[in-house]
Amino acid sequence: MPLTPYQIVVPIVCIILIVYAWNLALRKKKTILETLFWTMFWGLIAVIAFWPHVASYLSVLTGIADQENAASVTFIGILFFMVFYLIMRLEELEQRHAKLVREVALQRNDHHENNSSH
Amino acid sequence: MIIVIIPAFNEGKRVGDVVQSSLAHCDRVIVVDDGSTDDTAAVARRAGAEVISHSQNLGAGAATMTGIEAARRMRASVAVTIDADGQHSAEEIPLFLAPIKEGRADIVFANRFSRKNVIPLIRRLYNAVGNLITFLVSGLWVNDSQCGFKAFGPIALQDLDIRMSGFEFCTEIVREARQHRWRIIEVPTKVVYSEYTLAKGQSFANGVKTALKILLRSFLR
Repeated sequence: MPLTPYQIVVPIVCIILIVYAWNLALRKKKTILETLFWTMFWGLIAVIAFWPHVASYLSVLTGIADQENAASVTFIGILFFMVFYLIMRLEELEQRHAKLVREVALQRNDHHENNSSH
Repeated sequence: MIIVIIPAFNEGKRVGDVVQSSLAHCDRVIVVDDGSTDDTAAVARRAGAEVISHSQNLGAGAATMTGIEAARRMRASVAVTIDADGQHSAEEIPLFLAPIKEGRADIVFANRFSRKNVIPLIRRLYNAVGNLITFLVSGLWVNDSQCGFKAFGPIALQDLDIRMSGFEFCTEIVREARQHRWRIIEVPTKVVYSEYTLAKGQSFANGVKTALKILLRSFLR
């Protein structure tokens, strides 16, 4: 079976992401449950890329029967990813903000303690 | 050194009593005033607590983490967290300290449901949903995962890293316990729900928001 570049690149990227997820799990930054979820998710993407006919089973399940539908779903998927990415960035900013307010509060407290001990 | 941490937001009416009753069972009490607009900080200070004030309201999780960080800087060996609204009894703090002092636990959770407490049905429902979500994201079942009354031994106090700012932090602590393999003990506690504590508690909308945040954030870490 001749392989297209897509069928080579996508499974490699998926394998890297699965290894990364398990690396996080080993470093206790992800739970096994979440890692299994991501393994299944990226594994499915890789399987569909490698054996495209698997998607026909999915079309029965999802009702995506033609290319126009598939294109719409793909763009919805891209938009979903963008929203997800924005939420991630917001979360990061919220955490940085909390750390900043915390540090200011703790430093103010240290300063107050030093002054009262002198 | 044993330190009691009380995260507080607009709890001027209640925090004084909680500080005074806690002082009998620890070396120091830290009140983290989470951007209150009332006299919480002044009342807590008068009652004998050390007050650390957030310039803005961040949420219960962020306030608790500030207290934990302050306890570390004060070289505490054990930290106890307790709600500022007086729903928990500070007289029970020794029950939380015992398993840690005996070397049997790294973290002690309260369990309001293993004693005869008058708990409104809606609160029981919230807690059941909270426990279920906590189990799904952490893989660990805790009977009262959403209670703010907890004790952290030296290992847990050192390793704890709460990143969630709101009420989701209770679930995050269970998750941390699982990831760090802390030894857990649950202690039956009494709880007093009054009109005041019920009014201060989470609404249904807040509960849904918290649940969604937990699920979302569990995939972000």
